[in-house]
Amino acid sequence: MRVVQQMRNQWQQLYQALPDCLLKNIVSEIPSLLIINLFCTILVTYVMRNGSSLFENWVFSNAIGSCCYLLIRTSSYFLWRSAPPNMFVFYLLCILLAPIGYIIGSALGALIFSFPINKVLHFQSSFISAFVAMTSLVSVIAAWSFWKKIQIAELISTAEKEKARTASIERQAMQAQLQLLQAQIEPHMLFNTLANLQGLIAIDPERAQHMLAQLIVYLRATLSSSRAENICLKQEFTLIQAYLDLLAIRMGKRLRYTLHLPSELEQEKVPPMLLQPLVENAIKHGLEPKVEGGTISISASKQHDQLVLVVSDTGLGLAFNSQENNIIDTDHPHVGNANIRERLLALFGEQAKFSLQPNNPEGAVATITLPVLASNLSM
Amino acid sequence: MNKATTIKALIAEDEPILSITLQRMLGKLWPELELSSIVENGIEAVQAALSELPDVLFLDIKMPGKTGLEVAQELAEEWPSQRPFPMIVYVTAYDEFAVQAFETCAADYVLKPISEERLNKTMKRLQEHFQARTKTQNDNQQPETEIERVIAQLRQLHQIQLPNSAENISQTTEKLSVIRAAVGNNIRLIPIEDVIYFEATDKYINVVTAEHSSLIRSSLRDLLPQLDNSLFWQIHRSTVVNIKQVQMAHKDDTGKITLKLKHSDDKLSVSRIYAHLFKQM
Repeated sequence: MRVVQQMRNQWQQLYQALPDCLLKNIVSEIPSLLIINLFCTILVTYVMRNGSSLFENWVFSNAIGSCCYLLIRTSSYFLWRSAPPNMFVFYLLCILLAPIGYIIGSALGALIFSFPINKVLHFQSSFISAFVAMTSLVSVIAAWSFWKKIQIAELISTAEKEKARTASIERQAMQAQLQLLQAQIEPHMLFNTLANLQGLIAIDPERAQHMLAQLIVYLRATLSSSRAENICLKQEFTLIQAYLDLLAIRMGKRLRYTLHLPSELEQEKVPPMLLQPLVENAIKHGLEPKVEGGTISISASKQHDQLVLVVSDTGLGLAFNSQENNIIDTDHPHVGNANIRERLLALFGEQAKFSLQPNNPEGAVATITLPVLASNLSM
Repeated sequence: MNKATTIKALIAEDEPILSITLQRMLGKLWPELELSSIVENGIEAVQAALSELPDVLFLDIKMPGKTGLEVAQELAEEWPSQRPFPMIVYVTAYDEFAVQAFETCAADYVLKPISEERLNKTMKRLQEHFQARTKTQNDNQQPETEIERVIAQLRQLHQIQLPNSAENISQTTEKLSVIRAAVGNNIRLIPIEDVIYFEATDKYINVVTAEHSSLIRSSLRDLLPQLDNSLFWQIHRSTVVNIKQVQMAHKDDTGKITLKLKHSDDKLSVSRIYAHLFKQM
């Protein structure tokens, strides 16, 4: 048993070392070929009783079988390469090539035993009809089994390709989500908040507690809303409140804020990461860089069956992106805004609107108009 | 003699809690240090520094008004030459790019949240510096070397171009060909090659051509990336000149460089940070 196991291992090693091509396929099919040839030998010797010895018949069977096999295999390789063969043409090929293989194989057998070739061929021709019929039959059976094998291999490779594709899609989706998250919780914001916490713990532990609680609310809400498809306005406002509270502690008297969400709109669904980035932009570009700071107001309202979300600030304003007095092309506003427009277009088509305008007397107003989501109507 | 041993520091930090925290830490690590001015933005930082003339500056990088780097640059231009230039410690929140930049030009910096250990190391280094300074009282060389060091650092930082936000990097690299300036109800179109120089004021930029000057609402920080930098050279924190309009650079006895222009009688002064641009080849 061990010897068999060893031989098998050696065989497998040898097989794996072969280049992945026609040769490898042929090697893999040798065992089935030998079995078929043995079957023919027995058939010829004991059923057809042609009068020759078992050994002679075995050699002839192998010669004929191998010839037929090689003829069919190589010609199908040159016809179709690795593509799946046309079944009808393939069978026709088998029937045509079998007699040729029969003759060449017989001649080969004669050469091995040093029999005169013409005598052997003459002897063989008396059995020709039976032999041809049998060779054809065998060829067809063999062909059919190879055919199945090819089909199975093909199915496996398709399945593997599909699997790889799904994996890559999943990876991409995960990466996108991660990026979204990273964009949300800016390291700069996180470290600045932590620095404030560090300071507060020493000078005002109670406020430090409050700040930590707000940071937790902010982080938790950000994490959960970045995974959700839709979130309700109440959740979004909680997130914004926590964010602004953190910033109000950090910026001190420089930041004032108001939030206005009518209670009947609390359950309205909106896509996540839509309002929050506008608030962040207003802080980052409007209020934080302004020496005297200012006020930010966020409100939601319903007008003509549309949801209107407004973020207004009294910060530095659009400065170089406003319609007049500008030197910079208005076609290239903030990158973040382009993202918001794209997302709205993808989600709602023409039904949603986004605008960014100068506030009076200073600052900026960002407005998003959304259709009320279908899921809300049923509620 | 005694006066020289009291070392004065300025803290510029816009977030009040962080400012208090830094004050407390400094009080603990270096009780002799006199915190002469505590300010909340870049503009106040420059004013306070020029009136108090402190020995150490703690500059937050991201501040309203002016960034820490802009404050350093302005001080390098305005600092009275008979006084030693202060030691600068930049304070910044997590920002990989900034940290890398500071490492490259060997500037002192501490990260927020501030680690006491790190701050202590910086304090030790500063103390050594001041001890060495009081020992070598023939101070003629000392003030020069420190300001030269800061100028070299700023030059390097300018080349790396510290981004204030991620958007700055991805901002349009498209170059302007025409400046649109509002004049009353009209828009004046100025071909970029006609501009002799740009001069930044508080909220505006003055665009000077041979015929007239017009105001646009922008800042050099926003304008610079949109200019062809082989043609338009920054020569001062508030001046960008069209180099083809420069007739000659004049260097006076104190080493100050002034530019004479072809089509304007205005004279532009070049700050020390950009003086290397006008060395002979």
